Amino acid sequence: MLFAQILVNGVMLGGLYGLMALGMALVWGVLNIVNLAHGAFVMLGGYCVYFLFTGLHLDPFAALPIAMVVMFVVGYLLQRYLLNLIIRSSHLNTLLITFGLDVVLTYLAQLAFSADFRAINPTYAGSNVTLLGVTIPLVRFGAFLTALVLAAALWVMLERTRLGHSIRATSQNLIAARLYGVDPAQLYAVTFGLGAALAGAAGGLYGMVSQVTPYIGATLTAKSFVITIMGGLDNPFGIILGGLFIGIAEALAAIYIGPTFTDAISFGLLVLILVARPARSLRGA
Amino acid sequence: MKGRVALLGLCAVLLALLPLTGDDVLIQYGIDALLFATLAQAWNIIGGFAGYASFGNSSFYGLGTYGTAIAMAQLHLPFWVGLCLGAFLAVVCAVLIGLPILRLRGHYFAIATLGLSATLSAIIANLDISGRNIGLILPLTRNDTMFYELALVLLVAATGTVAWIARSRFGMGLIAIRENEDAAQVMGVNTTLYKVTALVLSAFFTALAGGIHAYWITFIDPASAFDLTLNVRMVIMAMFGGPGTVLGPVIGSFILTFVYQLLASSISTAAALLFGIVIVLAVIFMPRGLWDLAGGLRRLGPRYFLQNIRAHRL
Amino acid sequence: MSADTILEAQGLTMRFLGLVAVNQVSFALARGEILGLIGPNGAGKTTLISLISGTLLPVAGELLFEGRSINGLPPHARAHLGIGRTFQVMKPFPRLSVLENVTVGALFGFGGGEHNRSKAREQARALLDFTGLQHRVDQHADELGGPDRKRLELAKALAMKPKLLLLDEVMAGLTHAEIDEVVEIIKKIRDSGITILVIEHVMRAIRSLSDRIVVLHHGEMIAEGMPDAVLADPRVIEAYLGKRRA
Repeated sequence: MLFAQILVNGVMLGGLYGLMALGMALVWGVLNIVNLAHGAFVMLGGYCVYFLFTGLHLDPFAALPIAMVVMFVVGYLLQRYLLNLIIRSSHLNTLLITFGLDVVLTYLAQLAFSADFRAINPTYAGSNVTLLGVTIPLVRFGAFLTALVLAAALWVMLERTRLGHSIRATSQNLIAARLYGVDPAQLYAVTFGLGAALAGAAGGLYGMVSQVTPYIGATLTAKSFVITIMGGLDNPFGIILGGLFIGIAEALAAIYIGPTFTDAISFGLLVLILVARPARSLRGA
Repeated sequence: MKGRVALLGLCAVLLALLPLTGDDVLIQYGIDALLFATLAQAWNIIGGFAGYASFGNSSFYGLGTYGTAIAMAQLHLPFWVGLCLGAFLAVVCAVLIGLPILRLRGHYFAIATLGLSATLSAIIANLDISGRNIGLILPLTRNDTMFYELALVLLVAATGTVAWIARSRFGMGLIAIRENEDAAQVMGVNTTLYKVTALVLSAFFTALAGGIHAYWITFIDPASAFDLTLNVRMVIMAMFGGPGTVLGPVIGSFILTFVYQLLASSISTAAALLFGIVIVLAVIFMPRGLWDLAGGLRRLGPRYFLQNIRAHRL
Repeated sequence: MSADTILEAQGLTMRFLGLVAVNQVSFALARGEILGLIGPNGAGKTTLISLISGTLLPVAGELLFEGRSINGLPPHARAHLGIGRTFQVMKPFPRLSVLENVTVGALFGFGGGEHNRSKAREQARALLDFTGLQHRVDQHADELGGPDRKRLELAKALAMKPKLLLLDEVMAGLTHAEIDEVVEIIKKIRDSGITILVIEHVMRAIRSLSDRIVVLHHGEMIAEGMPDAVLADPRVIEAYLGKRRA
């Protein structure tokens, strides 16, 4: 039963990881930018929901859409007026500027919100559902469901809407997309905004199941990256699965292996996956 | 050309004479700056010339650190043997890791190397000979002048090597790989050999810098020896000065180390924030570093900035 | 195999994800000849060149260069043996000058190239004169226009001092006058003793250049022989124009 409980904990957390990684994968696939500030966006989303909850007493789940809109605007503006200036520069430069952005956002957050741990604790935070002898905290379950719903919404948007078609066309071939009347600067900004909005949603959920500090960004960026590599850039379901895999692996490793070797194992696996993957699936090469 | 070499020689001699001031704080800043410049210069070989953005150099640094520390603290061998051991470990690691990982390109190479220092750090933290999580304490030597001069010799050696690379057939091959690896290969460049050699050279100088730092600081642990932010700083300094140039990384790291020290002595949060802002602005306004900026400003004046933005925006 | 066969392909086969790109192709190249390789789009011409230069490895078949098997050799080793190529999708070193681009070829090509950088630079300069790029020496490669890029591709490959030169559509997009110019250059290259395999869509050029022609269609060799005979072959016309009009 302990094993089942760990498994469920991992799955609940993994859904959130998958949602977070979806944002990174979207931006990477379309703009060919690995956004090292992605974790910082998650962090900002977390603060957004936290202050809506403590300040305006909004239910955190109701605050999520607002946080997403705020993060969309932040992402849109950052891409349109900052990152767009170097979008055709070398990949190392795009890595560096998003790293710089990560540093700036992290320390701005520290100045504005202090380094205190913030947790989003609605009244039902202690409630559980018990299913077949496995206890599931209500909030985690809600976070998991929300992640799945948002992932599905993204998929529908990409497959069924005009905007989605433009985004997918642009990720395949920028020049061809331009011929069909897509304004790439606008589309890039919208895509980056969507990525930030997904990060923001993940951040709100993260604040409910864990705690938000200005410094959570770096490890979350790293996790998003690993999941994106595992799931593949062009497959939302692969990324959700990757998120579940990492969530479960983390939960199991923390119990059975001990914390010292977990980083080594996950990065060792990452390197193996990278080297073993067939070359043609490595886009951006 | 001769004039420039003479000027550089003069600079090196002046730097060598700095300990005569007897100012301890200045000498310590100097050691820091020289070691950082060496790290940036070593990164320049693989990152600037071959165009492979290595985030694995902090692992070579860590191996150099631990090689020296293990030799001195555990095996009671002299310092220079420790340096050799550290460099040897780093070079072996560069060959073993380089062969599979240098097949990856772009982001994928960068991230694969990123995993390396986390992995090595975890291994070191679980070995008895390296003092596990706790780390190692090296014999104490209070001789900052010696460390300063050693660091200077190392920087001169690294820069000399890069100067040779910039003028050699080997260097042209690396540049060809950076510019277009497929074309370089069919034109006869043994790309695998060249990339691994570049990584080995980079690892060698990085490890020596790590070894000197370990003996100077006398205490090391896995977290500080395999610190990834150190690697990020190498990259930023080399990129800031001018990747793929001989002197850019040295000048870039001198300036940034100075700025950083200046800011760090006031408020640390503000320092970190400004550092981030400097990175963002530098990438936008001088994507090819100070070296290119100097040439560009002479040719174009302020239009240089506009031209950069125009070339890289969408 | 006769003594002056420079390259021989036996049953070369290449598949991508189960799709046959080149199927059981066998041919020989005599030293000093110009062989034209033609075929409709997607016939497998560029794939064939990539198999010879080593950027692709065949799933079956044998390649002999000067009588010795080169199947297991990586691209740079084939370059050292004397196989040079151009790319249809041109691959210059974008931020190097035109002169430096060509110098790379001189530094690394046949036999490992000229190891002295200033001597290599002089050789490169001579080739820029030969290909008509002397006025572009110091420009960055990515600043060149289409025709000059084609010339640069050619100069880079020539700088390698190849024994066998593989030309992949060096005339695409050129004007009539420019094509005539390139045809003359290619003839001069042949006269200097270099064997040439040329892929081209410009029929006028291929007819006047080639000693022999090989036709690929859907990865299969459907004809081989003298230019006039091959171009009059009904199967070739059918391949190009489709069945109804043949």
